[in-house]
Amino acid sequence: MAEKQVEVVGVTSRFFCAFFLLFSMGLLAQSKDSLSQFKKKVLENIEIDMLMSYYEQEGTHAAVTGGIGNEYLTDYTPTIVVRMPMGENGILTADVGLSAYTSASSSNGNPFNKSGASANGEYEDDDDDDDEEDDDDDEYPRGNGGDPKGSPWVASTGASAKDVLTTLNVNYQHASEDRNTYWSVALGGSTEYDYESFSTAFSLAKLWNEKNTEFSVKGQLFFDRWKPIIPTEMHEYEAFQETFLYNEDSYFSGVPIINNQGTIVASYLPNQFESYTYTHRNSYSISMSLSQILHPKLQGALFVDLVKQEGFLSNPLQRVYFQDRPDYYIGNQQTLGAYTSPSNTDLFHLADDVERLPSSRIKIPFGARLNYYLNEYVVFRSYARMYQDDWGIQSKTFQVELPVRVGLSWKITPVYRFYDQTAADYFQPYNQHLSANPFYTSDYDLSGFHSHQWGIGINYRTVFSTPQIFSFGLNSFQLRAQKYNRSDGLSAFIVSTGLQFVLDN
Amino acid sequence: MRYCKALLLSISLCFVTSCTVVKEYNKIAINDEDMKLQSALCERFETNFQIYREAAAGANGGKTGGGCGCN
Repeated sequence: MAEKQVEVVGVTSRFFCAFFLLFSMGLLAQSKDSLSQFKKKVLENIEIDMLMSYYEQEGTHAAVTGGIGNEYLTDYTPTIVVRMPMGENGILTADVGLSAYTSASSSNGNPFNKSGASANGEYEDDDDDDDEEDDDDDEYPRGNGGDPKGSPWVASTGASAKDVLTTLNVNYQHASEDRNTYWSVALGGSTEYDYESFSTAFSLAKLWNEKNTEFSVKGQLFFDRWKPIIPTEMHEYEAFQETFLYNEDSYFSGVPIINNQGTIVASYLPNQFESYTYTHRNSYSISMSLSQILHPKLQGALFVDLVKQEGFLSNPLQRVYFQDRPDYYIGNQQTLGAYTSPSNTDLFHLADDVERLPSSRIKIPFGARLNYYLNEYVVFRSYARMYQDDWGIQSKTFQVELPVRVGLSWKITPVYRFYDQTAADYFQPYNQHLSANPFYTSDYDLSGFHSHQWGIGINYRTVFSTPQIFSFGLNSFQLRAQKYNRSDGLSAFIVSTGLQFVLDN
Repeated sequence: MRYCKALLLSISLCFVTSCTVVKEYNKIAINDEDMKLQSALCERFETNFQIYREAAAGANGGKTGGGCGCN
């Protein structure tokens, strides 16, 4: 854990150094340019957006424990976006963010640790090497004098219970002298303990018809790599193979395993599990959009993407249970009848395998926006999307927003969004898969459901006096709060804030 | 799905039938901040969790890949 924290701090430090270097370059460019030119720049002054969000969710279909269990999750995401003029025609944007999350579901990759889920909380150890993310074979502690216990309904305390995702994206956009052609290039990356992503993108936009029509094309490439973390039982099976229930170095040595009659047995063998031979995940996408002013008060845009993903598209931490295989558990046999109930705090079902999905996926979303200026107080904004992929998922999305101006500075925006999707061909609920199938998942994000999201946004824009911080004046403030309910029972809440500062000359 | 298709078709037809050129001096309403054909910066966090909790992504001018989406 300490090693992990050092790594996260190191990566974060490097990203922030890069951010301040870019920021300094922008200031330099700003001071040079201020000496001359009356021509309007594509961006006049440095802009800084300080963003923050808090997300919280609850649900009962945790994918890590095979489609049942505690899905409680929180996520804080502080982010800074700096836009700097580069000469008359260029804009350099640096976008640095963190995402610090805790996840009950992820924590149960190893449900048998020192949390309340394990050993009745009796295990005490001040060091943090008791999780599946270390390679130490002594990583799965047992209770003092008691047998290990776990539950999909109780969060564990292993290192996989929390992590920090760090992201950095840098984009340069250039406009032609007549402002009818724009091109941009971007580089980006993100890292967390078990996942790294590197991306690059380019785009070209062309305006014509007196800037009434715009066509743009954008290509994005993502090169991602997993460091696969697998559930405890698979980790030990991978290490000791057929002897993993007996080998004295195995966590399961001497641990009583019961069947669904409550009888202690020694026949549990997850031999469908195979080690991973590759860990890359690449995504390639091409996006096109056509926007058109249709009337002095009406404009719209059409979007179409073609996305191809290949490589390791499964999540190796997500358990799968087969209905045609015997069930094996660790914990209290009295709880067998209530395993799927949240009242279960001391029984854990050992997995038959982990999620297996095809190594290729093609996604085709098609979307449209239409905005209408009703009057100086109200604008109607709408968005619709249809989506299809070759995993059998079809979906539709519809969103409306109604920004209402209140006085000169304030605006209130009610928001409603509807979404629904069909299930992936490979989805089945907990313990419903057949072992003969080549692909399987119990991740409810790939199930059939619909969702409703509603909320409100509040915007403030300075008009006359501008509060100052150093040489930067507050330009605007945004607050959005949204509630999200999914038909499978998952509910979430997100609140986001944004402060925009502009460098005063 | 029927309504969604109808909406997309309607918007597409608007593009086909549009022949009016709105002059720069007549774009006061079009240039309003809320008329932008993109999401607000703050909305990126909502898009991010939607990409995790839903199978569909893209066609909104934003990110189309990257990240494990595993929490």
